[in-house]
Amino acid sequence: MKQDTPWTYSGYRRRQTLRIWTIALVIGFCAYWAGVSCKVDVDALRTGLPKGIDFLGYLFPPDWTAFADMAMPALETILLAFLATIFGAFLSLFFGLAAASNIAPRWLRNLSRFLLATERSLPEIVILLLLISALGLGPFPGVIAMAFGCIGMLGRLFSDAIEEINPATLESIESVGARRWQVITYGVLPQVLPSLLANTIFRFEVNIRLSVLLGAVGAGGIGFQLYYSFQTLQYQRATTAILITLLLVFVSERLSDYVRKKLTLDARL
Amino acid sequence: MGANTARLLSFQILARMIDVRQITKSTKEGVPILKGISFTVTKGEFVGILGPSGAGKTLTMRCLNGLTRPTSGEVLFTDHEHNLVNLTHARGRELRKARRQIGVIFQGFNLVKRLSAIDNVMIGQLGRINLLRSLVYGFTDDEARQALAVLEHLNVAHLAHRPVGSLSGGEQQRVAIARAIYQQPAVMLADEPIANLDPTNARKIMQILTPLAKEMPIIGVFHQPDLVMEFCTRIIALKEGVVVRDGDSKMTRSELVDLYGAELSEIEASQRILQPA
Ligand SMILES: Nc1ncnc2c1ncn2[C@@H]1O[C@H](COP(=O)(O)OP(=O)(O)OP(=O)(O)O)[C@@H](O)[C@H]1O
Ligand SMILES: [Mg+2]
Repeated sequence: MKQDTPWTYSGYRRRQTLRIWTIALVIGFCAYWAGVSCKVDVDALRTGLPKGIDFLGYLFPPDWTAFADMAMPALETILLAFLATIFGAFLSLFFGLAAASNIAPRWLRNLSRFLLATERSLPEIVILLLLISALGLGPFPGVIAMAFGCIGMLGRLFSDAIEEINPATLESIESVGARRWQVITYGVLPQVLPSLLANTIFRFEVNIRLSVLLGAVGAGGIGFQLYYSFQTLQYQRATTAILITLLLVFVSERLSDYVRKKLTLDARL
Repeated sequence: MGANTARLLSFQILARMIDVRQITKSTKEGVPILKGISFTVTKGEFVGILGPSGAGKTLTMRCLNGLTRPTSGEVLFTDHEHNLVNLTHARGRELRKARRQIGVIFQGFNLVKRLSAIDNVMIGQLGRINLLRSLVYGFTDDEARQALAVLEHLNVAHLAHRPVGSLSGGEQQRVAIARAIYQQPAVMLADEPIANLDPTNARKIMQILTPLAKEMPIIGVFHQPDLVMEFCTRIIALKEGVVVRDGDSKMTRSELVDLYGAELSEIEASQRILQPA
């Protein structure tokens, strides 16, 4: 800031407007450039669209008789996501504590943050493919892959929530001669529990989707049914699987929204 | 003079529970804040610490509990079993053991906002109860009854199950006081325990603390010279990190003006800024 020109609100607004327009222009240019280099082809879209609509005809009507066959796989998908979320959230809690600067010593915090970042940069599908080559096909490697897949995101969110805690609160518990684990159970957990649960439930919703995807790669469940139906050209059966998937995702989303609202709503008058 | 001599004699007879020896504290940049503070507190005393804002009262209190380590000097604490603990050097187990016997009421209460009032009170005895039991909030009915009785004593028993975050400032203050009483410490440090209370409740708290001070010495920071003169047995005045007065509980008007004088002119200056030009 220059010393000689006095600060005025209109000047501040002018600078803000200029800044926003510059950013918008830069983003617009980047998008154009990305479109050109990806060969976005409007013609291909024009010829492809009718073909796609034709194909939709094969999908209908859904094969309702397959519904009964798919109830168990659908349940399997839910259980897969559920188990993975519980297991993953539990592990994430420890990683979250270890990665929080107000709880863990510096070296442990840096190490945990590094591990969490490494995990985040590793897509679940990579973990799953690695596990499948070690453990073979099936739901078990799926659960493990998704559980580990949680840690990067949840651990980071947990540790950020823990670092937000007012240090004076923790200090005041230390002041009665409490040990570190007592400070955690009385000062940390009650304060972060709502945000912890909310994030975990959000991750459950993500895991439902992921569990469908991983199922297609061999973890079983509804994802595998979907993949198998397409492979064997039973398109109407595939439609049933798609509808069930939609239902699962929709319900889990509503549920997670509802519970999160309940949790984060503070008792304000 | 007579009272002073009596106090000097009683030092030799009674155990010194808190012995503060020439503590200094400087910021990381080397700016001195506490500049050599010394005093001893013995059983039966209710010490009122007075001083303008920023004098270093809170910082001194933090040194008395080992939350802040002085740059130099030391704080000695004699516990229930007459063990001498050097709070400036104590760490780990030794420090925890000493802290169990030092109750603290913080200036900002620093309670756990999402826990109920009664859970916050029971945190007071975390240092005493079995670790595994404490990790599952396994307090006994008996302990809860005691905690409730203390809350009752402070007129906030009806709030026992409310999350502390939803309580008013004065209500939180009384929960913080209840926590320190429930802790059953050997000494109590109270940083502005009545700052958020209305005059009636402030007086009530002083009336609760006064008999308590007979069992455990209380060192309190206050901004109410009148109440301090009425209830405390001794007044220590701090100014710019130095003890400028340590003696009986009677301060004259001119002593008070000396102590707070600078503050008063600051208030006047700030009022001038707000006035239209
Ligand atoms: N961490 C810190 N870094 C730098 N300065 C600090 C720090 N903590 C305290 N101080 C300074 O030390 C001085 C004394 O602070 P202290 O909290 O002890 O004041 P106080 O006497 O309790 O005042 P009040 O009556 O307002 O509570 C203040 O000027 C404060 O700004
Ligand atoms: Mg203070």
